[in-house]
Amino acid sequence: MSTTAMGRLVRAELKLMTRDPLVLTFVFAFPVVTMLIIGGAFGTAPDPAFDGVNPSHWYVASYLTVVIAAIGLVMLPVHLASYRERGVLRRFAAAGFPRWSFAMAQLVVGLATTVVACSLLLVVAAPVYGIPAMHDWWRVAVALPLGAVAFVSLGVLLGSVLPSARSAQAVGLLIFFPSFLLGAGGPPPHVMGAVVRQVAGPLPLTLLTNAVRAPWLGLGPATWSLVAVAALAVAATVLAARRTAL
Amino acid sequence: MTEPDVVTVRGLRKVYRGRVVVDDLDLDVPGGEIVGLVGANGAGKTTTVECIQGLRRPDAGTLRVLGHDPVSQAEQLRPLVGSQLQDSALPDRLRVAEALDLFATERAHRGGELLDQFGLAGRRKSAFASLSGGERQRLFLVLALLNSPRLVILDELTQGLDPAARRNVWAAVRQLRAAGTTVLLVTHEMDEAEALCGRINVMRAGRIVDRGTPAELVDRHARQATVSFTMADPPAGLLVELSRLDGAGEVQREGARVTVHGDRSMIAYVGAALVRWGRVPTDLSVRVPDLEDAMLSLLAPEPAAGAPAVDGSGGPGLPDGIEFAGGLQ
Repeated sequence: MSTTAMGRLVRAELKLMTRDPLVLTFVFAFPVVTMLIIGGAFGTAPDPAFDGVNPSHWYVASYLTVVIAAIGLVMLPVHLASYRERGVLRRFAAAGFPRWSFAMAQLVVGLATTVVACSLLLVVAAPVYGIPAMHDWWRVAVALPLGAVAFVSLGVLLGSVLPSARSAQAVGLLIFFPSFLLGAGGPPPHVMGAVVRQVAGPLPLTLLTNAVRAPWLGLGPATWSLVAVAALAVAATVLAARRTAL
Repeated sequence: MTEPDVVTVRGLRKVYRGRVVVDDLDLDVPGGEIVGLVGANGAGKTTTVECIQGLRRPDAGTLRVLGHDPVSQAEQLRPLVGSQLQDSALPDRLRVAEALDLFATERAHRGGELLDQFGLAGRRKSAFASLSGGERQRLFLVLALLNSPRLVILDELTQGLDPAARRNVWAAVRQLRAAGTTVLLVTHEMDEAEALCGRINVMRAGRIVDRGTPAELVDRHARQATVSFTMADPPAGLLVELSRLDGAGEVQREGARVTVHGDRSMIAYVGAALVRWGRVPTDLSVRVPDLEDAMLSLLAPEPAAGAPAVDGSGGPGLPDGIEFAGGLQ
């Protein structure tokens, strides 16, 4: 039953994801639109505030993690909490879907959405700002999937803890926007005050963005950020698995 | 030959946050029958069937469902059980045909036929959110029957259905029994239980307080019938005779309205007496007790003091359909 059930569940969830206005807005439209706006706001000339790189490229390299955060902090918690609140999960369980299968399906759907939404972002960015050259591609290639797993697991965890769709939306947005402004899509760290920079530094999205952007733009290996993201991925996955009887 | 029991529950106990919701409950569901589990809201019916389905872990007791332990052997059991759950839903944007694809296992057949039978064939492409309450209930029933289950658990089956749809669903449930499927029906609609169930278990405050056929329950808990008619000036001798008939009890007179109380055997004697006196009323009405009367009597609030306790919980259970304790469910 399990493999077949998982396949059916993933197929249905992927279809439903494409019909969800919250997903279409937050995961696909929001990162693209904000990247286009802020990427054009600071011009394309190398700028010391952006570690001497082209600001547009700075944001193109940063916004892939915005997609990941939108999936993990907004899409999945709301989706899961809504299903639990309305008895959808109970119905799936009674129909023979193993308890872990739904969380696993969300993991697959979350990662698939990441790939599609990130691709869309790059497709839109390419003719407008160009895709910056990747200096240390393998670190980026490690950081992105690790970050996706970390945030998708965080999303599953939040969705399994928060009691209703409304509370999931409230908590998700409350975490997402400060993380977005301080750690990925907002002003560069160099123009932030010392206190704000200290607050922003350890945020998961800041760490992930740093682990992707720095090696991508040739600003350093960002090894500690990568290690922190890996640790977060392991911790969030273990907690989400325990919480969902995975 | 009697069919072996499909469900056997002994000493089931479930406690939520210190409150006993199901207490020392025994239940047998023989194969091939429609068995009712009835009781007021909060009696613990839904919790009981959720334990039977393995959706909740009992605090005490043993359960065997089609030879399986519902908790430790859930994966083997669930394909054999079809469920129509109270207070549950499908994803809003899932279409009817997609729901059938999602829930269909290798045991599934005749999905299209079931959609036809329950009047949903024209709604294949409709999203769940666009279905009316009755259509949703019918879709749940289709999904419950989709995989040819050996046991079907129906919780508040006809909630939200109009009378015609209810009759349609009842007919489908009777067909299930005719095909040999066992049905456990949870309801607080007494007409539904009376119409469908061969045996009924009555729950109150987490315990079974009585069980039997609908007729046995009515006989035990609602023997009283009433005959009433209008007679402007009844002869005094007639009223005396009515009060002395076999099975008759009190005779009440309110204006021109005469009401005779008694057990059901009294009904024929009252009719015969009226004919004998040549005073046959044109508006004679007879009210015989039904299962609802029996339940009202059985589930009536107990006297505050001196009455034996029904259970050890000290109060009513939590409402049916309580949130799952932890995790995704």
